[in-house]
Amino acid sequence: MKEQIAQVQAEAMEILSKAADMKELEQARVAILGKKGTFTRVQQGMKDVPKEEKPVVGALLNAARTEIAAAMDQRLAELQAQADAAAVSGVDITLPGATLPAGGLHPISLVREEAVRILRRMGFTLADGPEIEDEWHCFDALNTPTDHPARNEKDTFYFDSGKLLRTQTSTVQARVMEKQAPPVRIICPGSAFRRDAIDATHLSAFNQIEGLYVDREVSVGDLKGTLEYFLKALFGDETAVRFRPHFFPFTEPSFEIDVLLQAAGQEPRWIEIAGCGMVNPAVFENIDLESGKNFYVGCTGFAFGIGLERLAMIRWGIRDIRLLIENDVRFLAQFQ
Amino acid sequence: MNISKNWLAAYIDLDGLDTREMADMLTFAGVEVEAMHERGVTTDQVVVAQVMQKTPVEGSDHLNVCMVDAGEGNLRQIVCGAQNYKEGDKVPCALPGAVLPGGWQIKEGKMMGHASCGMLCSASELGLPDKEHGLWILPQEYAVGTPVRQFTGTDIFFELEITPNRPDLLSHWGMARELAGITGRALKTDPGDVSPQTQLAGKSILLSAPEICPLYTATRISGVKIGPSPEWLAERLIAIGLHPINNVVDITNYCLFELGHPLHAFDAAQVQGTLDIRLAQPGESFTSLMGDEYALQESDLVISDASGRALALAGVMGGKNSGVTDQTTDIILESAWFLPGNVRRTSRRLGLASDSSYRFERGTAPWNTLRAAARAVQLILECAGGKAEPTAVAGQAPAMAPEKQVKEATVLQQGTDAKVYCALPKVQLDWKELDVMTNAAIPHMEAARILRNLGLKETSPGCWDCPPWRLDLKRSCDLLEEVVRVYGIGNIPATRTAIYVPESAQDRAHDFRCAISRHLTGAGFWEVQTFKLIAAQSIDPTIASVQYALPIKPLQPGDVIRVALPLSEDHAVLRPSLAPGLLAVAARNLNQGLETLRFFECGRVFRNTGGGKGKDIESEVLGILMAGKATPASWDCLHPQTVAPQHITAVLEGLLPKSRITVLPARLARKEAAISADILANGQTCGFLARVALSACRALDLPADCYYAELDLRKLQQISTGPFKVKELPLYPASGRDATLETPVSIQHADVVKAVESIHQKLLESCRLKELFCDPTGEKLAVDRKAMTYSFLYRNPTATLTAAEVDAAHSELLKALASKLPELRYR
Repeated sequence: MKEQIAQVQAEAMEILSKAADMKELEQARVAILGKKGTFTRVQQGMKDVPKEEKPVVGALLNAARTEIAAAMDQRLAELQAQADAAAVSGVDITLPGATLPAGGLHPISLVREEAVRILRRMGFTLADGPEIEDEWHCFDALNTPTDHPARNEKDTFYFDSGKLLRTQTSTVQARVMEKQAPPVRIICPGSAFRRDAIDATHLSAFNQIEGLYVDREVSVGDLKGTLEYFLKALFGDETAVRFRPHFFPFTEPSFEIDVLLQAAGQEPRWIEIAGCGMVNPAVFENIDLESGKNFYVGCTGFAFGIGLERLAMIRWGIRDIRLLIENDVRFLAQFQ
Repeated sequence: MNISKNWLAAYIDLDGLDTREMADMLTFAGVEVEAMHERGVTTDQVVVAQVMQKTPVEGSDHLNVCMVDAGEGNLRQIVCGAQNYKEGDKVPCALPGAVLPGGWQIKEGKMMGHASCGMLCSASELGLPDKEHGLWILPQEYAVGTPVRQFTGTDIFFELEITPNRPDLLSHWGMARELAGITGRALKTDPGDVSPQTQLAGKSILLSAPEICPLYTATRISGVKIGPSPEWLAERLIAIGLHPINNVVDITNYCLFELGHPLHAFDAAQVQGTLDIRLAQPGESFTSLMGDEYALQESDLVISDASGRALALAGVMGGKNSGVTDQTTDIILESAWFLPGNVRRTSRRLGLASDSSYRFERGTAPWNTLRAAARAVQLILECAGGKAEPTAVAGQAPAMAPEKQVKEATVLQQGTDAKVYCALPKVQLDWKELDVMTNAAIPHMEAARILRNLGLKETSPGCWDCPPWRLDLKRSCDLLEEVVRVYGIGNIPATRTAIYVPESAQDRAHDFRCAISRHLTGAGFWEVQTFKLIAAQSIDPTIASVQYALPIKPLQPGDVIRVALPLSEDHAVLRPSLAPGLLAVAARNLNQGLETLRFFECGRVFRNTGGGKGKDIESEVLGILMAGKATPASWDCLHPQTVAPQHITAVLEGLLPKSRITVLPARLARKEAAISADILANGQTCGFLARVALSACRALDLPADCYYAELDLRKLQQISTGPFKVKELPLYPASGRDATLETPVSIQHADVVKAVESIHQKLLESCRLKELFCDPTGEKLAVDRKAMTYSFLYRNPTATLTAAEVDAAHSELLKALASKLPELRYR
């Protein structure tokens, strides 16, 4: 019996080590430990073993079985590892990516969102108004005299109804102030239209962002501080900002704002970026007179306007403004 | 406007003021210096040279080979074509390498075989008034080799942007006055400070339109001698880019650029009787001094005479055959005040602009009318001789001060026998306003000094007389602006104040739009921004055109809004839908080889509600276009699917994941669409889905598989931003049963869904399309039939269903369905 056990164990070890794959290993398991397996048969010989020898033979059988089982587990692990390695051996991890449909935002949306994000952080809320406007909101309320050149049909798109396409988003100032009592702290991103022939630097429809802050005792210092903060947030903390006196009918005093920009390998240049000023008292008077509400007696405020196309062109070095309306994917893909 | 620094220096002491510094001072006081150019000989390489020998070139009728002494020790050979010089003359010689005005660089060269090492110059080649029509013969006392710039001097030419509120700066004296105000430097003598001799015009001038021309003056000067202007005058005109014509015309131009008031000189022999300042008559025409004819309107002001002929278009331009010529001996000099808006309208309508109209339309100071006349008379007598009558004055200066102020106003008085009165506007200024505006950063003494430097006078505490040339100073804020701009905003400390503001509806709309846009870019769409003005009709596929509009509600005649005066037919109407723009974008990108066309735009569309007579409606919509391949081809997918309706529906479902999206055939077919459908979210219509008409795809060179959806952004926002609560997860399992429905192809998915829903099977939780089968060959299924396999999911929320219960519910459902869908067979 002892010899038999040793022989069957040796044979089993031999078969297991020769099993080349999981299937052969399973066959080997059946051939050794199955109902009619070699080891099972030897085990069945236990009943013929004399009683006094049983503990010794039993211990031998158990030890042999444990060793066979351990060898089987080890072989299984080896074969599983081989099979796992084979399963991924042909995969080329360096293949180019399969093409998913690509997409991205338009550069004007990108600059608009950024400007809006900064200004909302500064406590401005969004406002809006119609693009088809009347002369009152576009010109009269904003202190633009009747014979001002901008009111000419060669400079502004009029409709037969007498209405017009707003020439600036400042119309929203009048729209908001005729309804809302101060304080007013709004921004309005939106389209404006001027009857300019389209070329590399002009579009007859373009985008602006307008801002207005009106309250008691708003000062030139507030205007300066607010716009410096905004432009530094937009162009970087080290950006220099300067204010040049200018003229707009709806603000007094009025300023144009330049930022000092430095392109790689170039001398820094002052670039005009926005217009602003203290709200002209005539604007308050006009609106109070029209609304009959006298909200704005004794108020002061500032307003500013910035062109989004210009902002995008400066930021990304876009030379031809028409690229912004052509929507060529080769252009758009650069802003992904 | 162009300003010559030398000319300016005649009126203000500019000693020691650096040009760059001066430009910055002006720019930061609101007069932007757009460019500066150095004028005249700026190089040392143009030197005095003596012509030692002059030999005609054989075979040329005008060239000479000259040997010149330029002070270099040996003689220099130069070929010269001028005729006005002789051996021994001293002339300017530009040495090789010299850069002459206009950027012209002198090089060594050969002319007709003769080496030429430099150029002998005329005065005009050096940017100076031409003196001899040939070489500039220099005085003999000039030493050879001396740079010519030592004798000529240079000038700086400033290009300034004058804002429309400051017409007082449109002259050299005006700029000098401004600079004196800003810097505190001393002004020299006012050239306009000449006492005018005046007389009442009587019958010699008739003011027929006094509301447009309330003041007209005419000075007759007899016996003038027309000829070239004196050199100093011609030089100043050339310095600002004008061409001298003759002494009288040059003096009128000179006075305009000196004092800012336009003048006009008539040949007295061409004027008959009374000057009539009247509005044009119906059908009247005017021939300008250039000879161009213009049709006038009854709002145009003309200067006419007894003959009835329009001699000049008031404030804009002189007429043909009434101006000063070489034969003129007697002149009538006009100086008048015209209403700005009137001059502007005439000038713009006729496309006729002049230095004169530029100033009148921005506003001229009535006070300057007689000053300019007197100054011009002084110069004409000095340069052209003759004898002047006292200036005839008709009318009176228009009031610049409000009527109620006139009584207390300080009044300036001009003239002798006929007087012109100018009342100065008074402005009340409370320093508190300045303190509020500047956070009290500017001392009141300093502010008062700034105002005084600008010519204002404080007549009583807080009450200021404005100078007569400043038409823009009327209210206290105008004075505050002066103080702030001169003091400099740079000297006012920046402050930051903010207040809490409530979020507005526009804030929420903006956030929603941003979220939608970000979602769509992640889903593989390019955001585009197309032009809001589009064509009514265009055959160019890359021009957006209304004919391809696919708005949510079909267009009615008159809905499309057209601008009155479009710049071009390509941009003539406001877009009623985003489809035209997106289709044009697709066409443009297809031309560039793009096969997967996936674009969207968020933006406004416009229409009139009442066929052109109702309200103009603007709404925010989202347009999504998919055409061509559904996904891009790549090495692992050589032949991607072309776009089908389910692709765009999937995008819509992704946009509104909480809502049930249904696409139903539209009740009204549209000619712009091959297939029209309404998009519903939770049963509420929120958009329109179209397969673009195949004829349109052909016309636009687009693939035939082209789908477009337009959605109302406001409705989408309402639908997707409502409050919601999470659902409890089910406690009991669900059981599924499949069924394959074979129907005629005309039965659509939506019909099946509608039929299933109408049955109201209580245990049915959902019904989902699992497979769709059609057989174009007819082998497995008739061509006019289709097989749709649906998975039905049953669940009892309060107990586990038995198989028998599920089977019973399922067979009940199938039986009911068979009665609702015609020609249905189960497979």
